[in-house]
Amino acid sequence: MSRNEPPGGVFGLSYDDESRVFEALKLLSTVIIVVVGVWPIYWMAQLAVTEYETVEDAVTVVPTPETFTLDNFSVLANPEMYTYMFNTVVVAIGTIVTVVVVSLIAGYGLARLSFPQKENFARILLIGYLFSPIVIGIPLYQIWQSIGLLGTRIGLIIALSALSMPFTVWLMWKYIMTIPEAHEEAAWVDGASRWRGFRDVVVPQCRPAIIAAALFAFALAWNDFTFAQILLPSTETTTFAPGVLRAMSQAQFLPDAHLMAISLVMTLPPLLFAYFMQSYLLKGFQVRAL
Amino acid sequence: MPDITIENLTKVYEESGDEIVAVNDVTLTIANGEFVTLVGPSGCGKTTTLRCVAGLNTPTSGTIRFGDRDVTETPVQERNIALLFQDIALYPHMSVQENIAYGLKIAGFSRQERIARVEEAAGLLQITDQLEKMPSELSGGQQQRVALGRSLVRDPEVFLFDEPMSDLDAKLKAELRPVIEKVTDEIGCPTLYVTHDQEEAMTMSDRVAVINDGELEQVAPPKEIYDEPDSEFVSRFIGQPSTQFFDGRIRAVNGTGELVVGDYEYEVDGLGGWNGDEVRVGLRPQHITVNNDTDAGIPATHLLDEPLGDATHSFFETEFGEVIVVTGPDFEGDGKEYGLVFQSDSICLFDTDSGVRIA
Repeated sequence: MSRNEPPGGVFGLSYDDESRVFEALKLLSTVIIVVVGVWPIYWMAQLAVTEYETVEDAVTVVPTPETFTLDNFSVLANPEMYTYMFNTVVVAIGTIVTVVVVSLIAGYGLARLSFPQKENFARILLIGYLFSPIVIGIPLYQIWQSIGLLGTRIGLIIALSALSMPFTVWLMWKYIMTIPEAHEEAAWVDGASRWRGFRDVVVPQCRPAIIAAALFAFALAWNDFTFAQILLPSTETTTFAPGVLRAMSQAQFLPDAHLMAISLVMTLPPLLFAYFMQSYLLKGFQVRAL
Repeated sequence: MPDITIENLTKVYEESGDEIVAVNDVTLTIANGEFVTLVGPSGCGKTTTLRCVAGLNTPTSGTIRFGDRDVTETPVQERNIALLFQDIALYPHMSVQENIAYGLKIAGFSRQERIARVEEAAGLLQITDQLEKMPSELSGGQQQRVALGRSLVRDPEVFLFDEPMSDLDAKLKAELRPVIEKVTDEIGCPTLYVTHDQEEAMTMSDRVAVINDGELEQVAPPKEIYDEPDSEFVSRFIGQPSTQFFDGRIRAVNGTGELVVGDYEYEVDGLGGWNGDEVRVGLRPQHITVNNDTDAGIPATHLLDEPLGDATHSFFETEFGEVIVVTGPDFEGDGKEYGLVFQSDSICLFDTDSGVRIA
């Protein structure tokens, strides 16, 4: 393969040796990724399908026919766990919709309209990233409490959307700038209003950016712990991440194997989402000068 | 359908505190069914003028009327125009059929009516077999046909072209020119065509408007623009290869004037009352002949030949700089010395300062 590539000469080796070194390094990095990233997921998966008494008493690496079971997944029928999952799904979908709609409109405004201090406005958006969620979380708790959003899914959706927005607004802004203005002008000439041109011509072309933004917002909302812990304080109505942690501290009611089963179920949607959307995702993140 | 009247159109841009006059006091009328080309070098204000007529830019001052209707402040959506863009601007996520029908869809035509009109337009443009394709599957020439179709189905009041062929190669341009003429004839509305390509301007227009630095230099039919340019700029810009220029002087002789270029004198009409004035002498390369005798005309050293088959463009070095002459197809200069002879009845004289035509 290295024969076709421009000469590197980093190690002062021949092309063949260099490509062998390269292959070895590639293998090494793969091993590291597998150990750090995949092994815990495997561990979770194999525990999820092992009988929970076995998990409590011994260490198993591979599920055997004697210990294999799907009974652990019965935990999904547990009403508390069901509430956590349902809340997580609602919050994730709500966040995705809010983020996509708001960032499309904000990105369009930044890309197409001129207003004073536009660049500074966009830069200020990024300041949101300077604070860790916990710093914003405490004031939000007080504000949400006084306006009655505390303990509601809407409250959490707004907080999580705000967290995703700096990135997704920038993404949309830069993506919409890659769409020639002439496309919209052609729509206006055809009689379309600005809104209609935006809807019919700009939004359909933004599909890769919309999917990238949606995935970003989804990952953030699905995996969020801090905001959910602070803003949904009641154990009965929280989302999965804080809910499972609270359940763990009451381990006598929830065996580890059941914990692993529900964790596995909650891990699948992001994996599937990322897998099927990866071609769009790459296009969305490919915007130059982002 | 109405005519287009552009009156005293001025457009000033402000860029980091500086005022840039893109279009300066342009007045132009395009009659119903007339094809007028606005031609000029890049940055001369021709596209700005067109965008003001389209409603995509708002003029700083001046008025634009379609017939009796003052459209200066009318938004682009309500002007009922068609506009072909330089980068074609088909909607990439819609099929050819949907692209052509989009305007009709907005106007609220029924599905049946839309399909009928699209098919009619596609027939005229010979793209009937492309209707199901996506724009990215088409060649540049076909894409521009689709864009024409998009305009054709809407039956616009005014047809505007913004350098629609500048990204196409020469052969495709020649192929598309008759198509554009056919479509504009079919619609029969006033047409404003903007280009930097003087060949497009000459071949398609009823009248050519030459614009330079935001100001109209001359508006006239192609033949007149070519033969009787109003200014040095027009003479230089129109025609390929372009007009050759020499420094001359007018000498009064017997109540009339005589043009002196180098050691040679020419009789030019209409020079009465001039004496001793410096002038710019413009002559088309077709109106200069090459004589083997160096004493017959302005002495010139042959540099190179560009044989084109039906004629040759020959380059000479003279005391006035490099001069191009259109010679016969078999001419070969071989780097020798020649004399360049002017056809005196084709000479145009221009003021050295203002560039305005004198005679």
